[in-house]
Amino acid sequence: MKKKITIKDIGRQDGQLAEIRPEDLVPLPYPYDQPVSQPGIRQMTADQKKKFETSLDGISAIGLKRPETREEEEEFVTKFLSGLKKLLSKENNWTFLQPLMLSLENCAKCQNCSDACPVYTESGRQEIYRPTYRAEVLRRIIRRHLKKENKLLAKFTGSDIDLDYTTIARLAELAYRCTLCRRCAQSCPIGVDNGLITHEIRKIFSQEMGIAPKEIHEGGTVKQIRTGSSTGTTPKALQSFISFIEGEIEEKTGKPIKLPIDKMGADVLLMHNTGEFISWPENVAAFAIIFDAAGIDWTLSSNLMGYDAVNYGVWYDDVQFSRIAVRHMQAARDLKVNRVLVGECGHAHKAMLVVADRILTGDLNIPRESAIPLLENIVLNDRIKLDASRNNFPLTLHDPCNLVRLSGIVEPQRRILRKICPDFREMEPHGVDNYCCGGGSGFAVMDSNNFSDWRSSVSGRMKLRQILEVFQDVISPDIHKYVCAPCSNCKGQIRDLFSYYKVSEKCSIHYGGLVELIVNAMVDIKGPFINWETV
Amino acid sequence: MWLLLLTYACLIIFVAGLGWRIYKYASLPVHLRWELYPVAHEIGKPYGGSYLEDEGWWRRPRKINLLGESTVFLREIIFFREYFRSNRRFWLFVYPFHLGLFLLVLWVVMLLIGAILALNGLTVSAISANLWLQMTFYLTLVSGITAFILGVFGTVGLLLKRSFDEDLRNYTAPIDYFNLLSILLIFLTGLLFWTLEDMPFNATRGFVQGLLSFKAAQVSPLMTANIVLSVLFLAYMPFTRMVHYVAKYFTYHKIRWDDEPISRGSKLEGKVRKLLAWHESWSAPHIRPGETWSEQAAGTGVADTKEASK
Repeated sequence: MKKKITIKDIGRQDGQLAEIRPEDLVPLPYPYDQPVSQPGIRQMTADQKKKFETSLDGISAIGLKRPETREEEEEFVTKFLSGLKKLLSKENNWTFLQPLMLSLENCAKCQNCSDACPVYTESGRQEIYRPTYRAEVLRRIIRRHLKKENKLLAKFTGSDIDLDYTTIARLAELAYRCTLCRRCAQSCPIGVDNGLITHEIRKIFSQEMGIAPKEIHEGGTVKQIRTGSSTGTTPKALQSFISFIEGEIEEKTGKPIKLPIDKMGADVLLMHNTGEFISWPENVAAFAIIFDAAGIDWTLSSNLMGYDAVNYGVWYDDVQFSRIAVRHMQAARDLKVNRVLVGECGHAHKAMLVVADRILTGDLNIPRESAIPLLENIVLNDRIKLDASRNNFPLTLHDPCNLVRLSGIVEPQRRILRKICPDFREMEPHGVDNYCCGGGSGFAVMDSNNFSDWRSSVSGRMKLRQILEVFQDVISPDIHKYVCAPCSNCKGQIRDLFSYYKVSEKCSIHYGGLVELIVNAMVDIKGPFINWETV
Repeated sequence: MWLLLLTYACLIIFVAGLGWRIYKYASLPVHLRWELYPVAHEIGKPYGGSYLEDEGWWRRPRKINLLGESTVFLREIIFFREYFRSNRRFWLFVYPFHLGLFLLVLWVVMLLIGAILALNGLTVSAISANLWLQMTFYLTLVSGITAFILGVFGTVGLLLKRSFDEDLRNYTAPIDYFNLLSILLIFLTGLLFWTLEDMPFNATRGFVQGLLSFKAAQVSPLMTANIVLSVLFLAYMPFTRMVHYVAKYFTYHKIRWDDEPISRGSKLEGKVRKLLAWHESWSAPHIRPGETWSEQAAGTGVADTKEASK
């Protein structure tokens, strides 16, 4: 039997700590029940291994480069400790210090949270992915190297852990093997939050050491602050997307609907994840069609920070987070709107409606809502004419963690689907007990090295299982099926999962948003809005 | 007399230590919202929904169900529902263990009541004329006996589980065994003392009476051992993670269920404004050290923003 990895092993110097083998992963349902039908994880080449830190599990998420000299290694350790010290200080971390201290000091190590974690269970119970593993590493570092417990006491309290480049580099990678779905926190009887501890570890690396995945820092928050969007879409580019979408709407519906932009004093400022404009323009179009039909007084913003609702800072950096949150509201304030509505983007819901709440004071505290309750109001009060039989295909709902467990928006989307989709079926579990798509906390946009293989094989595995299970009775590729995922990042992850396993070809399961289904059921629209060739 | 003095000293340390721990958590600054649904005080959303499900929620006054919140919290504390739901095998030991501790506290309270009554010339016994005195006697008896039996069962179970279950063993340090063994010794000496020497708990009540009146009572070696172990443990506990019962109040009420939205001119907004004026000193290249949180949020972190206006 393989020897179990212990906490102390995080500093082991004899090569890669854990290996992710396809045969260890939990088997998938039909038609992926044979190992041969599943793609594996690409191995890093010898050259890549030399260049990047892969000694945790052979995966490189953040592309951490190895220091070349002993001095550089020592500086790395010193910087980490200085960041850790700041993380535990009020001035530098008032934002999360109370939850962090409570979680660090009170875990009973009962492991009740382990089974709640889809990454841990689906990986075949890889010890390093256990929710308590990285938290326990951090606790021990704090006791042994910050509070300077002597060696004997450290042995007694179980905090004897070595601190060198290897330990810290592995911890940095390990902070990006958790999707921050916080299912583990939900299952903890004491209320310890290992997801939060992961979030805080990421902050040490980003806020003190300048280390974060390039897709969420340079290519994410920095790019958004600089150009207006993490996609690089500038205000000027936005205008061309809008013209394109207006053309599409007219072509599909025959209606010359204009997307209002920078309308001063509008009731609603709608903010999308700009990824929708590029990858799923039909979602932006569907919102416009519904709002137009229901007579909503709404607008988009072309202000530099007014058109992309994303805030990647919520995953790894409080400073970047607050910069974006403040700018979002400045854009809304400039337009003098009554309220800001977040489109189908899960993390933007959590960031803007929940986490940013205690940053936005005075005139930046503009009412912020999810767009889903307004859609519910429109659909359930018959403000537009709908024919449910147009959506007569098997359909399931994926719950984005940020929408349900982390923002408490659970039923409005269901009430809509029950009304307009006759064959709506729930995955198990769902609602606040849902499983993450596997792309949470930035993973959906992270593609460096072999990380995308890992998220399709490991972190997204539970979601794929749920989707396949809910459609087992209609799994034949002759029957079109739809996964409704009201979140851009979840859609991105599901797109990648489906492409990795060829789900659309093998099972004819497709994915899309919520508004597309509403428009598909609108009697005023001539043809079907959902195109099975493109979803 | 030394036993009395030791008990007083340990009780003082316990109260001070616990107070310090509570103060430490309570005095930490308001944090950013980080709630986790279901939030127990939401009204009419048993599936875990929030007020964010309601269009225009900010137009209406916020209503919360504090009774519902307390009920859920108490149910979790009294029955350990989460373990029962998700890890029944662990619940089988962890629940009796904690129930033993709760009953031990009840036993001490009953002993205190009995001692106060006795100091006022009333006799607490099975044959007392007054029904309340009889009830005090029996409740002391039942809480004490069940506490010791459940405690021994639960602690032995937890010790075995921690020793033989690899998932738990890997995360268990010598201090954890030390803590459990200490608790086991307290329960065991209590059980032995009750069986062999003080079935009606009269001598124990006598000791408590002595504590209240500063008079040393007659105590046997076995009872001395039980008292010494118990009070030393009490003095030690506030400085360990065994005070997670204090933490639990905060993790539930102040984090998981803290969904209070900020409103203009509110007390909460005042607190947040003060925090935003604090200076931070993070050192990454995109952060300007020494600025306040507000200044930091207003800045871009990069020198060149011209590209933005293109």
